[in-house]
Amino acid sequence: MTSNALNYWYPVAMCSGINAPRDTLLLDEAITLGRDGPSYWVRDASGKFLPTVVRYGHLWTSLGQPNRELFTIPEAEAPDRRLVDCGSVKVKCSPLRAVENFLDIAHFPFVHTDILGAEPHTEVARYDVEIREDVNEVWATRVKFYQPQAAQSADGGITTDYMYRVAAPTVAVLYKTCPPRPGEWDVITLFVQPLNEEWCEVWPWMALYDDTTLHAELVSFQQMIFMQDRSILENQIPRKLPLDPGMEAPTQADMTSIAYRRWLKKIGYTYGAQVVAA
Amino acid sequence: MLTWMAVALSADLQHAMSMPCCLDGNDLAIWRSASGQAFVWGDRCPHRGMRLSQGFVRGEKLSCIYHGWQYGSDGGCVSIPAHPDLVPPKSICAKTYQCVEANGLIWTTLIETTDAPPPVHLSTPVRTLHVDSAIGDVAAYFGSPDATLIHLDNPRLITLALHPVNGTSTAIHALTGDPDGRKEVSRWLEIQRANVERAAA
Repeated sequence: MTSNALNYWYPVAMCSGINAPRDTLLLDEAITLGRDGPSYWVRDASGKFLPTVVRYGHLWTSLGQPNRELFTIPEAEAPDRRLVDCGSVKVKCSPLRAVENFLDIAHFPFVHTDILGAEPHTEVARYDVEIREDVNEVWATRVKFYQPQAAQSADGGITTDYMYRVAAPTVAVLYKTCPPRPGEWDVITLFVQPLNEEWCEVWPWMALYDDTTLHAELVSFQQMIFMQDRSILENQIPRKLPLDPGMEAPTQADMTSIAYRRWLKKIGYTYGAQVVAA
Repeated sequence: MLTWMAVALSADLQHAMSMPCCLDGNDLAIWRSASGQAFVWGDRCPHRGMRLSQGFVRGEKLSCIYHGWQYGSDGGCVSIPAHPDLVPPKSICAKTYQCVEANGLIWTTLIETTDAPPPVHLSTPVRTLHVDSAIGDVAAYFGSPDATLIHLDNPRLITLALHPVNGTSTAIHALTGDPDGRKEVSRWLEIQRANVERAAA
């Protein structure tokens, strides 16, 4: 199950939170991470140093031979962006279920009631989804949804535009309407560390145009949203993400999730997935 | 395999509520509509596998908490809020089980049957209590030939309706004939539980 998954990059820590060496899990393997002055290190259980990349506030590593460079988010490089470390939430679910939930907007009125959605504004209009073969990513564009309070900085209800991007099997990026700066996108990411197939640590991170909201307010808003999501994610049966059609019944609103599952199958990523034996 | 088993005391399932129950390893959602009818369904929304026991009741329908999909009394999906104008296909259906409510107990069966649940003559609910022992061991402790329904005269009249949670755990739903004896029966039950668990250990 793990062979293919070994060769991807995964987040294992928020850089600003590394003070002393810390033990954690990655794909069922015990690893240890830490820093010596400005340089970060990760070792496996045998003591071998693993490759590292520091990017977007987090430390990334791989247990295998990374088959491609770590993704980039060009929008996040703009100098006047505010980069927001959000900490982490551990969730008893498949890392793939956590990503799929992040790609879903139809749950907003029911799970994030009166914040990211509210009845009767439940309709999900048709949007565009594609698997971009050139970059090997899943993209959903022209997504729109009515939101009572789209962000900490939002003042009243607005129809929010979204784009969703799956940059790696356990990395999703969303781009959404930026209330203080029309024409620009706020960037909110979900970096997921697979601890094992049914347990993950979720590291949200943001690159925003927002000069006024306190850091504590931004983080507590995100924490509130993820706590609400966790109450769902820990109660889905099975815990793993079913990749074969038939087990679950999607509709048109689930086009992003359908594409995500199809793409996982295509690239052979089955860690955290439930695949019916052929 | 057993047919009718009591899975909850009627008194513990309020109107317009849904709650979880595990019956012989099967996750169930037990819910009661606004008008008072009780239902026993598989604890899984067919859409994304979310537990329906976490759902919310609107009138005579059960809604999944995740995306608000609504299911009618026959288990069929009747509303998908993301597509308000769509008539959901008949194929989208929650798993339903036969359910009968009688004498203060909610009964279900995992195998379809034309029989009725066994009669129970006491009607004062005491409580539901979980024991970390297999159902056969619990019945043997009380010297009962019937594993799912035990009648005692100790000297209060007590009926214990049992269901297996899984291979090593049992739920006991207790009823008594004496409305003033509930507290006493409850304390007595806790002692029996300790004895059963000790005997099995």
